[in-house]
Amino acid sequence: MTKWNLTWDKGVGLFLIFAVFLGSVLSDNFANPSNLSFVLRDVTEFAIIALAMAFLIISGEIDLSVASTLNLSSASLGFLYRAGVPFEVAIVGGLLVGLACGLFNGYLVTKLGLPSLAVTIATLALYRGLSFALLGNQPVNELPEFWIGIGYGRIPGTFIPWSTILLVVLAGVAWFVLHHTRYGRWTFAIGVNAEGAKFSGIPVQRTKLMLFAMTGLMSGVAGVVYTLRFASASPDGAVGYELSIIAAVLFGGVSIAGGVGTMWGVIAAVLSLGVIRSALQLAGFTANSLLIVSGALLLISVITPKITETLRNRTRAVGKENTKKTIREVGNEKSTP
Amino acid sequence: MVLASSQGGPPVLEMVHVAKSFGGVRALVDANLTLYSGEAHALLGENGAGKSTLLKALAGVHKADAGEITLKGKPFEQGSTKDSIEQGIAVIYQEPSLFPDLTLAENVFIGRQLTNSGLVDWAAMEKASRELFNRLGVTLDPHQKARGISIADQQIVEIAKALSTDASVIVMDEPTAALSSKEVERLFTVVRNLREQGSAVVFVSHRLDEVFALCDRMTVMRDGSTVGSALISETSENEVVQLMVGREVSDLYPKLPPKIGEVVLEVHKLSLEGQFSDISFEVRAGEIFALAGLVGSGRSEVIRAIFGIDRYDSGSVTLNGKSLPTGKPAASMSAGIALVPEDRRQQGLFMASSIARNVAVTLLKKLSTWLLVRKRREESAAEQWATTLQLKFASLDDPVERLSGGNQQKVVLSKWLATEPQVLIVDEPTRGIDVGTKAEVHRLLSQKAQQGMAVVMVSSELPEVLGMADRIFVMREGTHMGTLNRDEADPEKIITLATGGVIAR
Amino acid sequence: MRAVTNLFRAREMPVFLALVVVVAIAGIANPAFLSAAGAIDILLGVAIVAILAVGQTFVIVMRHIDLSVGSLIGFTSFLIGDMYAQGYGLWGGLAAALAVGLAVGAANGFLVAYLKLPSLVVTLGALYIVRGVFNDYAFGRTITAAMVPPEVAWIGLNRLGGIPYLFLIGLSLVIISGLVMRRVKAARDLYAIGSNPAAAELAGIPVARRVFGAFVLNGAITGMAGAVMLGRFNAANANSGLALELIVIAACVVGGVTIAGGSGSVWGAFLGAILLQAITRTIGALGIPQFWQQAFNGGLIILAIAFDKYLNSRVKTTTIMGSHND
Repeated sequence: MTKWNLTWDKGVGLFLIFAVFLGSVLSDNFANPSNLSFVLRDVTEFAIIALAMAFLIISGEIDLSVASTLNLSSASLGFLYRAGVPFEVAIVGGLLVGLACGLFNGYLVTKLGLPSLAVTIATLALYRGLSFALLGNQPVNELPEFWIGIGYGRIPGTFIPWSTILLVVLAGVAWFVLHHTRYGRWTFAIGVNAEGAKFSGIPVQRTKLMLFAMTGLMSGVAGVVYTLRFASASPDGAVGYELSIIAAVLFGGVSIAGGVGTMWGVIAAVLSLGVIRSALQLAGFTANSLLIVSGALLLISVITPKITETLRNRTRAVGKENTKKTIREVGNEKSTP
Repeated sequence: MVLASSQGGPPVLEMVHVAKSFGGVRALVDANLTLYSGEAHALLGENGAGKSTLLKALAGVHKADAGEITLKGKPFEQGSTKDSIEQGIAVIYQEPSLFPDLTLAENVFIGRQLTNSGLVDWAAMEKASRELFNRLGVTLDPHQKARGISIADQQIVEIAKALSTDASVIVMDEPTAALSSKEVERLFTVVRNLREQGSAVVFVSHRLDEVFALCDRMTVMRDGSTVGSALISETSENEVVQLMVGREVSDLYPKLPPKIGEVVLEVHKLSLEGQFSDISFEVRAGEIFALAGLVGSGRSEVIRAIFGIDRYDSGSVTLNGKSLPTGKPAASMSAGIALVPEDRRQQGLFMASSIARNVAVTLLKKLSTWLLVRKRREESAAEQWATTLQLKFASLDDPVERLSGGNQQKVVLSKWLATEPQVLIVDEPTRGIDVGTKAEVHRLLSQKAQQGMAVVMVSSELPEVLGMADRIFVMREGTHMGTLNRDEADPEKIITLATGGVIAR
Repeated sequence: MRAVTNLFRAREMPVFLALVVVVAIAGIANPAFLSAAGAIDILLGVAIVAILAVGQTFVIVMRHIDLSVGSLIGFTSFLIGDMYAQGYGLWGGLAAALAVGLAVGAANGFLVAYLKLPSLVVTLGALYIVRGVFNDYAFGRTITAAMVPPEVAWIGLNRLGGIPYLFLIGLSLVIISGLVMRRVKAARDLYAIGSNPAAAELAGIPVARRVFGAFVLNGAITGMAGAVMLGRFNAANANSGLALELIVIAACVVGGVTIAGGSGSVWGAFLGAILLQAITRTIGALGIPQFWQQAFNGGLIILAIAFDKYLNSRVKTTTIMGSHND
């Protein structure tokens, strides 16, 4: 982990604090419990998927089909329930569908060797199409009270939605795996140099397949959460979500080139986006301003590293006028312990 | 061969007192090079001597900070690569880079397509490239796409490109590194043709035997400066090596008395279509077993198959009696095999990652309790090996790309020795390393062998093979040509086997 | 003879054959499909995607991508109607559309070519920003038939010799671009850049300038294509062009313009656009509900990419054994 990335990390954290501050300033309604609860709920599906997407992008791949997978899981849940399957089982069905979508993506990329960008653009269409095929034009709106209560409700006495608990648990696991287990190390290694990873005994293809599968599963989880929150499974939900997720992941410090990123940065970035969206809405901006903000954040998150890199290269060249040595001497110089 | 210089003609290229720095590092201090038309000129020097930097200044990849360059009597304009091409400089890099999706004809004329009233004229380009290929004595179809043609053919296309630009100076950077013997012969013929047609060819190579066979004059560089220049006919390989190294080369191969034990690794009739066939050998504990041969003989492919990077078609690999599955590096690792790969930067290291991370990457399971990777164990492992191998570094958190080639190799060795393998395979262990570190690496391998490790070494450097190995397995174009014991081996025998001959016994 | 074998080996042959097959299936299932009305229906539907696919080809061939085209064309189609309704006439609208197209193309091009940012990310951001600005500009208004410049409406409705003008515009663009890609030196550079970016620099090709130019060109084409979209639908609103970029990229990939860059032609992209449209209509002709449409598109792209990979992998890499035979 380079020092620069830790700085980016802190930067996003500061940005989050700034965003919350901005929100409170822009509107009195911002900081009240029911709004904060709304923000958390709003952010949950994005965040759950972003956790897995972070792993994937760090490893050098990408998945544009996540929103469609979310939607297909939701549609499968609705379809099964409408067909008479008990709701709990239907939930499992939805999760399995998400997993299957991820595995299919992973299979195409690892076994057939197809580029993940192109392939997931295709499965984005494929999975969404299948949602339509499952449900036709009829959303499923009759869902069990109990579950809708969980999807929408909060822990009694607090403003924290139930779904946030799920998010916190998943985020904790993701953070631990990425930064403290060998699977996380493998992910970084593959992103930095996939060939070198292979030569170091890391099972590159198997790991990538797992990452795609996890992304699909998380999209499935998000799909279930989404269905419960809106109390409806419909074929055209979550359109365009993938772009916000990727924007958040990149803004969180994960490099699009792979090999770099922190989980905390990603979480802070997703929260920031949610906060900004809410703040803008409350201040009377159109929902569409969020689009512009997401786009701008995306661009900023890629332009900034470039600029700092160029600046750093220039200062390195300029500052060393007095210490010129030949390459050979530089190599031997590092002998003083 | 007739040299303009022997007739007193002016040089076609003069580079005088050229200097270049990158940040705080002086890559060129006082470099000089003089070329005459119609000659093949060898540019020699160890890695890091500055050969590449000098040639890149000529090629327009960067600009020299100081010095004068004169081409055909006129000052040379240092600018972009396009400027250099227009002034008559053509460079053929070690890895020829063609455009795989374009035809050979378009590759030859890339950026300067022939036109007819402003529009690209395909027929003219095909005709012209066919003529060029003929002139070089090669049959290639200008209409085929460049994807998939052999490296040797790619070089020919690059040479044709150089000719089509009416280049007065053609630079070839390590052109024979990836060629078979037949292809090397073909290349030499082409270079002789070029010479006769008046071009000046700069030939960068480490293979002194080739240099002495082909070239007319040579220039030796060391530590960024030119230290000598002479007619090939007036010097010897020993003198050249002395100039290159700058000091007495003594005890480069510290070999300890071997203690050879039982057979640990058995390779039986290993075959992979198009790469190698019917390879069988045994390696014992404590022995240094060398795979020798020319570059391109298939040795790296064999060891990659043994380790599991590539799958082989038939045959078997057995370690201590247990058969290893094909295509599973992790299985080979846990069984006790380690592979220090040929390409340090691409295959052996994570350049942007820290020293500690690089050393620990093969040890992650060992360094964890359950799932948790213990950071402190990571750091201490890296520290321990850094000390043992006398690694020269500033901080373990530094990215390895800041280290010198020799120290980078030490990091790769650390990461593999730390796995405590029974069989250590090293592929070109001292390529691109300064002389001092070379000796250290050799000493280390010898020590490990004496401690019972079986060492399999692939090397294209004869002195290294002769100095280190207990047994030498010679390959040529994917087949086993013969095995020599240490006491019976000498350079002639190895070269004979490596080039397809038979040793008279 | 060589010309015939080369024709069969062309990248575009699989798409062409697929098209023939699809049309055959549809025609057998529902003969009305093969009628003049059926054909015109397809041609009308193809026009917009075909034009955008031509521009996208310039970009993909360089190993880049432009995801902002959907937002952009929606915006400019709205803009043309709006300018006309506000009294600036047809030319005012067209000028505005061109200006916006050039601006977006230049912004994308600058970030990708000179700041060397990944085009995926840059044009993704542009997709957002343009759509956002568009939404603000449109602010819930719509362009109705009355607000469409009569010339545009006329072109949208009429035909020349039975073929819709909209399609002919697309076809002309394809023909001209096809020639340019094949015979103009600067265009050949685009292929080189996509085939081997590092070598392109070394060969003296002005890479940054070409990349910038291609994005600007794509922006201009997309901007002007707003007129075609307006003529086709006789209306525009804030949702115009939504998700269109994916269909365009699908058409390119299906048509042999590989995402890896370096190969493919505007003819292939054109055939890809027709194929996608034909499949849409075929699904209708076979009585399958429209719902399966997207799924089919997705599956089709996967097949195209897989086939593309298969074609590329069949060429052998360097072998060591047997090299002594040459």
